Amino acid sequence: MAQTFPYTYYACDCYDSNNTSSTKRASQLLQEAEEDERTFDPRSPRANYSLYPLEHLLYCEDCQQIRCPRCIIEETLNWYCPSCLFEVPSSVVKSDGNRCTRSCFSCPLCTSPMQTFSLDMTGESAPPFILECQYCRWSTLEIGIEFEKGQGIAAQLARIGNGGKHIPTNKERDKERERRKEIEGRKSRDLLSPSTESTNTDADRADGPPSHDDLFSNLTAFYKSQVDAQTPSNPFSSHDINFSSPSAYSRIMNLYSTTGSKKNKRNKPSAMREVASSLEGLTIHDPANDAAAIERIKKEGWGVTLSPAQKHAQINPNVRFVDELRPLATLLCTKRSKRCRSCRQILTKPESKITSTRYKIKLLALNHIPRLSIRALNAMPPAAVASRTADAFDYNALKPGMPSHFLLHISNPLFDPIKVTLATPSTTPGRVQSRVTILCPQFDVGANTDIWDDALSSSLSPIKRGSITDQAPQIEAGKIWDRGRNWTSVAVEIVPGFTNAVSSDGRDELEEDEDVLEIPIFVRIEYETDAGADERGLGDSRGSKGEKERREEAFWTVVGVGRIKG
Amino acid sequence: MSASGERKVSASLGRSVRGAAPRLADLASTPEAPRTPTLGRSVSSLFGSPGGSFRTDDDYVVIEVGSRFVRAGFPGESTPRCTLAYDPDNQRRVGDYRQWDPQGAQKRQNPRKGQEWGQEYELYRMDLSQIDLGVVEDKFERIMREVYNKYFVLDTKPRRILLALPPKMPHPLMSTLLDVLFGSVQAPSITLMSSPVLSTVAAGLRSALVVDIGWAETLVTAVCEYREVHEERTVRAGKLLSEEMAKVLNAALDEHAGYHEGDDISFEEVEEVLSRVGWCKSKPRSNRRTLYFPARTSPILEEFEDAVETPEPTITIPLPKATPPSEITVPFATLAKPAEYALFATETALNEFDDDELPLHHLIYRALLSLPMDVRRVCMSRIVITGGVSALPGLKSRILAELEALVHAKGWDAVRNYGTASARHEQILRQKREALELQRQESEDKMTESLDPDSPLPAGLRAHEEDNIDAKLAHVALRNGPPPVSLTGGIVRGVETLGPWAGASLVAQQRIRGIVEIDRERYLQHGLQGASKEKEVSVVAQRQSMGPNVVRGAGERASWTLGVWA
Repeated sequence: MAQTFPYTYYACDCYDSNNTSSTKRASQLLQEAEEDERTFDPRSPRANYSLYPLEHLLYCEDCQQIRCPRCIIEETLNWYCPSCLFEVPSSVVKSDGNRCTRSCFSCPLCTSPMQTFSLDMTGESAPPFILECQYCRWSTLEIGIEFEKGQGIAAQLARIGNGGKHIPTNKERDKERERRKEIEGRKSRDLLSPSTESTNTDADRADGPPSHDDLFSNLTAFYKSQVDAQTPSNPFSSHDINFSSPSAYSRIMNLYSTTGSKKNKRNKPSAMREVASSLEGLTIHDPANDAAAIERIKKEGWGVTLSPAQKHAQINPNVRFVDELRPLATLLCTKRSKRCRSCRQILTKPESKITSTRYKIKLLALNHIPRLSIRALNAMPPAAVASRTADAFDYNALKPGMPSHFLLHISNPLFDPIKVTLATPSTTPGRVQSRVTILCPQFDVGANTDIWDDALSSSLSPIKRGSITDQAPQIEAGKIWDRGRNWTSVAVEIVPGFTNAVSSDGRDELEEDEDVLEIPIFVRIEYETDAGADERGLGDSRGSKGEKERREEAFWTVVGVGRIKG
Repeated sequence: MSASGERKVSASLGRSVRGAAPRLADLASTPEAPRTPTLGRSVSSLFGSPGGSFRTDDDYVVIEVGSRFVRAGFPGESTPRCTLAYDPDNQRRVGDYRQWDPQGAQKRQNPRKGQEWGQEYELYRMDLSQIDLGVVEDKFERIMREVYNKYFVLDTKPRRILLALPPKMPHPLMSTLLDVLFGSVQAPSITLMSSPVLSTVAAGLRSALVVDIGWAETLVTAVCEYREVHEERTVRAGKLLSEEMAKVLNAALDEHAGYHEGDDISFEEVEEVLSRVGWCKSKPRSNRRTLYFPARTSPILEEFEDAVETPEPTITIPLPKATPPSEITVPFATLAKPAEYALFATETALNEFDDDELPLHHLIYRALLSLPMDVRRVCMSRIVITGGVSALPGLKSRILAELEALVHAKGWDAVRNYGTASARHEQILRQKREALELQRQESEDKMTESLDPDSPLPAGLRAHEEDNIDAKLAHVALRNGPPPVSLTGGIVRGVETLGPWAGASLVAQQRIRGIVEIDRERYLQHGLQGASKEKEVSVVAQRQSMGPNVVRGAGERASWTLGVWA
């Protein structure tokens, strides 16, 4: 649609054949029965998910079917950062996440990559360092962060909060929590309960509201302690049969000691309780935070707030204001091999080297599926059109009601000649109905032989131009327009529909892209090939042992001709 | 053997877990000797050796599916790895890059005809007659592919999925989602958890009244001991709010530039305005028609009336996609109006609402009213407000304040109208309230008087003498039982939550097994029909023995259930 006209999309039929799962509803089954009769509708909402340009499709040679991104399985081979091109081992991906752990960051406002700069005026590169966006000039100075070293920014950033505060690591958090709990415990032992609460809130006030991460780690620790307290350590439980652990050891010893068994009888486990303090992750709603946010919006307006896209890109999406932004570490990219979903054959496999763009295995639909393309049929030879661009056909302004001719060009990538049958509904689906006639729906296309074969044979036999050798090609039903070594073109007559007929219909005006003329064409090809050609490689089609195999393929394509204007 | 297994597990747990290693403080709370923590792992095979228990597929990914957003990430992390919206731009054909077209980006996208406000931005809606499940499947499949290939970048190891879903969902819709997760993501098993329960977990509570203000509807769920006990819904939620905001902005735009046909504000712009500068008045207006305030408190409430500020604060909203690009300046107070209309509907009398469109505070009150008294006591002081709209500043405070006023005015009386007896009822109420007030005042007076040493109080008015043994008992109860804060009840109190996703992350990290666990093989055989009709499956390991040395694996269950979704 937004591609330049004319274009061709290929439909992968996996969306109606992949419903192998058991949840087929009766209505769906009925629909599928009708599906064979129905023509493909490029305007149906599902069509967007099954149409692909030919370049995006793979081909499984075992299943002899087109494979689209939906019907393949992807396996990650290796990970790398797209901005520093360093390979990241899988263990690091597991432990440190899906982002670059070096110094690659992108701007939280405009997503362009950021660079490290030294703030030092005199020397070359002396501390302090900052990250700055080269596009919008946002820098970490705006959130009050400076770095001591120019390398390893990610590690430094993990320790500095906005405004230069220190972010505790998980271990430090645990220690701090322990310390504060101890203080609290001591106080509660000394005094009665009300005083503990007051000290608790005092401590909170000093730090401000706890951050999202703080809360989460507090909750984690709380649940962990509760679950641990609940886990029964009775002998012969299905858990921890683990003789190296001290608990198991003491348990075994207890089995043989006579005194311990009765003494150690545990009382009934109490139910897991709720959190009771902010150290355990409890936050009581505080209207003051709300009021502060409202005041800030009122005073500082639109500029200090974040757009939804900026929020969702953040690691912690629960932010509201500009000064809460963090630079975004670059997401890692992967190299993936792709397998066919039904037979698990590898379809593509890139080279594992990061900087290489080559593939070890690459089974593209381009090499197996004839390419369809359409262009306007001009009376002039192509060279003349190219020179006079003013006369060039304007695909964005097809005239409604005016019959015009187009050439459908089919080129064959296979090493065997193919027999092509085209079918199209006589009027295009949708509200703007255009009439389409393919003048010659059945024809042959030559094999994709060696280019020198063609040069040699053309001098001997006049097959180059088919039946029409000398005189200019004519538009005639049942006859092809032109033919070459491995391509054939046929004429199509199109009468674009009236767009204003729809809008004056009493209904509302045209929707987006409804004026685009798209023709669904069903393509069926038949060819004979050597039965074992796949095993021996494709180039080896000459070794004819007589065991020919008949193959056929059929698929829907959608040809975008142009936009109707009038 | 087991020692090496131990190491393996801890390595695969990842960074965030490693920090939460067992600490003395946790262990001190349990009356046993130090021991290695049990990770809740289980011996899976019937006759398996303990080493076999370290199954590799115990890894989880955590996915929360909502009608507008998908959040996905790994357990133990405080925030999801990605928050993805179902943007129509993501739903175009492959190779259609018009959203990157600099001209196209400036254009406003008009909604398709015949679609409701924001329908293109939804994954599903509960009314299945309006949606094509095939399209839902396509959309979800595409977004899950993005999640896995772009954000998870996992190795090929299959991972279980913890799926957070709203507690009621049509079965065809559920099986569509599960089809995608089992089919294209190839999950070995999926655990379903309902999002209100997870919100409760993320607040650190066991019981709560979860108010989930989502996109299509607001869902009030009473959760008692991790179980949904009551549910109320209303359509007053994000969609209505966004529509009201569109009205306000369109009116402002007309005032600014005059009305243009078809130049209405787009959905995206409204979303942005709402999330950036939308707000809600945090204090209820005293509304005498719906609320009754006793004479003593009303003067205080008068102060809540908007004090008119001079000059009136305004917000300038840039609209670069309007034709021509413009800025509109809106009084700050108008930006709070949509919330007023959409969520609280203060202008409408209570008897005019339909059953599905009660204002939020009335809905919460009604939910509380229909709870049993003891559950109500627990739930009313644990009101957890979550969902996308709850980020609107001031909204939480407002809801709590409205609710408190409502409770204060009506009490917990299910009878709304006493008819002819209403005067008498009111009188009784007033008497009660005044008596209460009097008591309170007297006790306050007493406090001040008791400071005066000269006049000893009569014995009946004196405070109780403190008994040493009582104090000791209380002390022991304090030390052994749950802390008093976790027993709070009977007052209206809001508790903050980290959201359902964080709750799911916590649950998955603690390796807590869900009631609803769907195995891939079983699902592919029977679909959702394979679920047993019983709502509960015992998660506690059965005590029956299967012979010596045979540990019945907790990994196998005879049947599976759909729990609340059944």
